[in-house]
Amino acid sequence: MPVIQLRQALREAMSEEMDRDENVFLMGEEVAQYNGAYKVSEGMLEKYGPRRIIDTPISEAGFSGLGVGAACMGLRPIIEFMSWSFTWVCMDQIVNNAANVRYMSGGQYKVPIVFRGGNGIAHQLAATHSHRMESVYARIPGLIVVAPSTPAEAKGLLKSSIRCDDPVIFLENEKMLNEMGEVPDPKDGDFTLPLGIANVERPGKDVTIVSYGRALARVVRPAVEHLANDHGIDAEVIDLRTLRPLDTTTVINSVKKTNRCVIVDEDWGYCGMGSGILFKLQKPLFDYLDAPIEYVHSDEIPVPYNHYLEEAMLPSVDRIVASVKEACYR
Amino acid sequence: MPTEITMPQQSDTMTEGTVVKWLKKEGDKIRAGEIIAEIETDKATMEMEAFDAGTLAVIIAGPGQKAPVGAPIAAMATGKETVDEVKKKYASGTSAAAPATTQKAQSAGAPQAASTPKSSTAIIMESPNTAELKEPDESIGHGATREAAHAVPPIPTSGNGNDRLKVSPLAKRIAQDKGIDLHQIRGTGPAGRIVQQDVLNASQKPTGAGAPATLSPPVQLTARVPTGQTEKVQLTKMRVAIATALQRSKQNVPHFYETMDIDVEEISQLRERLNKRLEKEKIRLSLGDFVTQAVAAALKRHPILNATFDPAKNEITRYGDVNLGIAVALPDGLIVPVIKGVDQMGLKEIRQRSVDIVERARAQKLKGEEMKGATFTVSNLGAFGVREFMAIINPPEVGILAVGGAEKRAVVQGDQIVPRTIMTVTLSADHRVVDGATAADFLRTLKGLLEEPATQLL
Repeated sequence: MPVIQLRQALREAMSEEMDRDENVFLMGEEVAQYNGAYKVSEGMLEKYGPRRIIDTPISEAGFSGLGVGAACMGLRPIIEFMSWSFTWVCMDQIVNNAANVRYMSGGQYKVPIVFRGGNGIAHQLAATHSHRMESVYARIPGLIVVAPSTPAEAKGLLKSSIRCDDPVIFLENEKMLNEMGEVPDPKDGDFTLPLGIANVERPGKDVTIVSYGRALARVVRPAVEHLANDHGIDAEVIDLRTLRPLDTTTVINSVKKTNRCVIVDEDWGYCGMGSGILFKLQKPLFDYLDAPIEYVHSDEIPVPYNHYLEEAMLPSVDRIVASVKEACYR
Repeated sequence: MPTEITMPQQSDTMTEGTVVKWLKKEGDKIRAGEIIAEIETDKATMEMEAFDAGTLAVIIAGPGQKAPVGAPIAAMATGKETVDEVKKKYASGTSAAAPATTQKAQSAGAPQAASTPKSSTAIIMESPNTAELKEPDESIGHGATREAAHAVPPIPTSGNGNDRLKVSPLAKRIAQDKGIDLHQIRGTGPAGRIVQQDVLNASQKPTGAGAPATLSPPVQLTARVPTGQTEKVQLTKMRVAIATALQRSKQNVPHFYETMDIDVEEISQLRERLNKRLEKEKIRLSLGDFVTQAVAAALKRHPILNATFDPAKNEITRYGDVNLGIAVALPDGLIVPVIKGVDQMGLKEIRQRSVDIVERARAQKLKGEEMKGATFTVSNLGAFGVREFMAIINPPEVGILAVGGAEKRAVVQGDQIVPRTIMTVTLSADHRVVDGATAADFLRTLKGLLEEPATQLL
């Protein structure tokens, strides 16, 4: 299987879908002539031309709305945001329009659009450019929220997102674009991953760790190795992949087996993504829990610019190990 | 910066230690890992290693001096500073430095000292004192007292959430499935929470030794304490419940005792005959079964002893059925399961029911209601070779019969000394309700039934 960068996986996904369906197009800041702010769309202008790879002015509210309109009229736009932090100005287009048009029109319009870009804390981008937007969007009925944690997931999930007839919030992370991983060769056929299905990426018996996206890649996977090697704790790891709709079945079945659950994300705790997940779990799992569900999240402060402070506010391997041990009464 | 050597915590229960002697004197070089002093803890005298290398500059706590855990007991010069500089820093040496540092360390050590007993009482759930304050004897009903007396902590009467049993939902569900009484289990989770492992340990618990630590630890109490050492053991919840209930009974109930010898020669022979007949059914009646049956019959004839008493209302409750409590010894405590409606049972059924309930009591698998509702209790220590003893009443019951072992004794019949099998029983009765003659009547009836079993047919 070819090993490629996550950014390349995204490019492959978009390109393959553009080859497959002429209604698919990419629009965003610097996606065309500059080859993408983070080089995700490198070479695509050359290949697909300016009608399908479209540079926009710096106006997220404007081009996200343009995308919603295009989707209503039958096209399948991919809207790239340089950062999801910039979408606070798009709330009306994404939340009020994209999420609700299908419902408000009684199904006369559907909105097959993908909004994608870097989400969360990258590195020293400070408080206003480090927002983790998953809990903002995952609470909106009508939206689908996806967060890949590997290049293969990025490709398989993005392809499914582009084919989805509902608006998809596709959350990447700038720091993950360089990450390498095995991705099925396009020659071996069309590779997609289903939306709304979580992946048990590591079976284990002692505790279920639920995570997604960057937190999973950055700290959960190393923590799990640490737990196995140094603490004798065999953790089952669930990669949620889709945050809305949440695959509670997979998580519940796992925790019924392990009786312990630790949720890890980089969101703030209060009203954070993990809090929402916890809400879905506590009642069905109540009689199966031997310990309270633990939630490892970022500190509830504006994201600091300082490297060390930023590091300190984020979930760490140590914090995960501590929480897992607490859940396991070790 | 000089490096302080602090009083090490050598055991979980240690809050302060005493310097027995220093193996180094001021000015001596110290290597990391070297034994530098002997410290006496609450458990033992232990050698103390140096964590860092340096030169011992000041001894703050001299031989015989106590210091709380974490308090500095000496200071070392470890690098740039000289021994004299360190000495100067610690003012005019040991005499001046010691009180000040000790005081500081004490205040630092105080929260720790305070929190240790706090957390352990949380595990124990309820100290006898609080139970006593909260539950005056008269205010509780029959079931509650019965539970309190037998291994289950008193049911909280106030809304005070502190003494609520803490159980993880999973542990609760497993306990329910396995029919395990959670009150018998000591939780090992935070704040004494009973967790899955505690219940699983309890469910695997064999009777006798080798029980897991989460249960009332009989091993701890029966194991030898090494010579020269002392050991403190927290009471189990069962022990606390027994202590509370029995102390309350002995303080509040005016006990009196009557003892009688019963000739069981004839009934022993009857027992042998019956057991031969029952061989095929693999049932073997014990003498205790005959006693149980006779007690039930005697109680029917003396209903004042088959009763409970509520002093708050000055009210006696009499019962048409005999629900007999049978005291069962456990490795660390006792439990009193109840056989209900004994007066309606034949010997066979009594035997079967007793075996079943005693076995389950020992396995700690009784249901709550099987420990409630006794109208009278029998405690039999015959199997232990006890000749006679006096038992403490389980309020609100008004009597308890202590049964000793049957043995051949020299008995005077007419002018002859003859060997007869004799059993001595002692009735403890609540004098608020029962008088001496009443008790004696009961015992005479019991004696008659056992000495001439045929009278039961009348």
